[in-house]
Amino acid sequence: MTSKLKIWHLIIAICIALLLLNYGLVIKTFSLIIIYLQILLENHPNEIIPIEFSLIDSFASAILVVIIPVFVFLLRKRVKIFYVPLNFTSAAIIILISFFIFAPFAASSNPNFQQNISETKLLPPFSSVEVIHLNKNKKPEQNLIGKFYNLKKEVVKNTFDESIILADSIVFTKVATIYQKGNQVILPKDTILFSYGKPVITKKLFLFGTDEYGRDIYSRLVYGARISLFVGLGSVTISLLLGLSLGFLAGYPGGFVDTIISRVTDMFLSFPAIFLVILILALFGNSLFTVIIVLGFSGWMSLFKIVRSEVVSLKQKDFFISAKMSGLSGYRLLTKEVLPLILAPVVVNLVFQYGSVILAEAALSFLGLGTGSSYPSWGAMIEAGQNYLTEAWWMIVPPGLCLFVTLYAANNLGKEINLIFNPRLKG
Amino acid sequence: MKKEILQLLFRRIFTSIIILFLLISFLFFLLRISPGDPSLKFVSPDLSPKLAAKIRDSFNLNNSLVDQYKAFLINLVRGNFGISYTYRMPVLSVIKDYLPFTLIFSSISFLIQILAGFFLALFSVKKINGAFDKTISKLSLIAYAIPSFVLGVSLILVFSSALNLLPSSGLSSFDYSSFSFFQRLSDYALHLVLPLITLSLSGVAVFYKYLRENLEDVYNNTFVLNLRAHGFTEKEITRKHVIPNAINPLISVAGVELGILFGGALVTEVIFGLPGMGRLTVNAILSRDYPLVIGCTFISGVLVILSNLAADLIKVRVDKRLLKSTLN
Repeated sequence: MTSKLKIWHLIIAICIALLLLNYGLVIKTFSLIIIYLQILLENHPNEIIPIEFSLIDSFASAILVVIIPVFVFLLRKRVKIFYVPLNFTSAAIIILISFFIFAPFAASSNPNFQQNISETKLLPPFSSVEVIHLNKNKKPEQNLIGKFYNLKKEVVKNTFDESIILADSIVFTKVATIYQKGNQVILPKDTILFSYGKPVITKKLFLFGTDEYGRDIYSRLVYGARISLFVGLGSVTISLLLGLSLGFLAGYPGGFVDTIISRVTDMFLSFPAIFLVILILALFGNSLFTVIIVLGFSGWMSLFKIVRSEVVSLKQKDFFISAKMSGLSGYRLLTKEVLPLILAPVVVNLVFQYGSVILAEAALSFLGLGTGSSYPSWGAMIEAGQNYLTEAWWMIVPPGLCLFVTLYAANNLGKEINLIFNPRLKG
Repeated sequence: MKKEILQLLFRRIFTSIIILFLLISFLFFLLRISPGDPSLKFVSPDLSPKLAAKIRDSFNLNNSLVDQYKAFLINLVRGNFGISYTYRMPVLSVIKDYLPFTLIFSSISFLIQILAGFFLALFSVKKINGAFDKTISKLSLIAYAIPSFVLGVSLILVFSSALNLLPSSGLSSFDYSSFSFFQRLSDYALHLVLPLITLSLSGVAVFYKYLRENLEDVYNNTFVLNLRAHGFTEKEITRKHVIPNAINPLISVAGVELGILFGGALVTEVIFGLPGMGRLTVNAILSRDYPLVIGCTFISGVLVILSNLAADLIKVRVDKRLLKSTLN
């Protein structure tokens, strides 16, 4: 059964959905980009606008969310991969990647957004709170730089917003009365923002509820996807480089070097890798980059074994010997003669490796040794949820499901790629 | 034949010892060059520099690296791993308190994994692509993708928190000392149900997947058809001809799995608060208890190597042709 839906349908649907849901934000981001370019061109010597990651992130997502659907639509006939039929695996992978790219638009708030904690903490899924906007008498700025900062505040989501107050319910007579968990707060009229004679009161929805600090779990999941994929990508790249080069180094000359490197590999294999990872993280500190590097260094062994055994058997083949005789350097031998032949097992191994790295990162975060508290991680979210097991199941189930879906998709992807390379295997 | 096996075995043990030695030395230097000072946990040098120096001295950390390594090697040859910084006891006697639990716990889990995987595979191969086969295959893929900590926490959520059926942590109840022998046994069993499920589920899926594929491959061979044509019963074919042929790759997987289990089921132990090697090792790492880290590593390394060796020996027993290639 092949479904009529292909993955390019899904990609375009996601982009259009994001555009429709966030059209205001997208327009604001584009005007921010224009102002930013204006500032750059006009040359304000006294003002240096710091380039922040979150700013670049918003810019990139805004541009990509418009460009990607256009490109996919135009290239869909030429690029074969867009015609992969849509099933659970490919849909999950596409959604994860779009979380990764469009996180600022897909998330409804900053992952660390906290406000009125007593009001928002441990809210169940699909609950919403009322938001009253305060009048912070923003004067319209004439200056370009002032405009830029005003607009930036609206585009880049902050961890705190002083111009709103969250409440259970708001009653407005002559003054606004705010009810927050039994407390009653009265706001005088002049502090509230009015538009067309009415106070601005909106609703904020927490799709998957909130955690113990009142942070939106859905937004944290979106940014957690980013961390997971990023850590996976980084460490798999490191494993790939290490496994390839060491495998070639051991297999190609053989003899003494081979024995030494193989024994060292055995040494690493005779000890559960997770302990080595924990050891290094505990001794040398845990930041995002140490986690990536350490996980990369702990996963090269299986790749090494594949590459080494392939190189040992390739060494005696005629084409390899003649390539060597014609004077190719070691590096070119590796990339031109060896790599194309071992591509299939290596790619399959990498995909499975990817899944296990994501799992390892989540397990490390679960044990409190992960990427640190500044980034939300699925494992850390589950770990936090453990303490609120009886009152807030929604702190555990959504990140657990996300993790499960990611791993399931990675395993299936590995299997499918294996089938493509070895069609004689049965599914 | 026997002489050959002994010779190969001897070589294998020799390389294993070298690997262990390399591992321990690697750890020794890694621990010594890492930043941080284990004595800081006991006394700050701001309070009393003299006392701090004394403690460092008692840990033998003031000597040069080479001297420390020499002393370490001499102690190692005598079978002495030193004294744990936190427990103030010889490392081996600390490990002695934690090792039995891990051995028993992981052996039970290992048996569950092997037996459940084996019988599920046998049942599902009876009718390939039947309803049972399809469901179990799908379920095994799902079970394989569930991270153990997600599973453990969800099990606690359902069985302990929502249904209140099973205890969620520890190894025994509070009023444990008043129980009779059988009550104690059932108390232990109740406490171990959820941890065992958490630890075993993905392993069951792995064994099932391996065995099912192998069994299917063997069933598709012509010799099975031949046996059927000769009128052997299906039971006989399965037991005498199919299983011995299909089981071989499983054994080395089982060896690796057993080794990993013996290293300590860290995540499971943390979730359920069990006293095992995994938690001991991690606590030792986190408190910079250098001798204990090395001791734990050594023990788990020995267990990994032994279980791999056992797997290879069984493999050779099942199929003598593999002698040279496996025992090398």
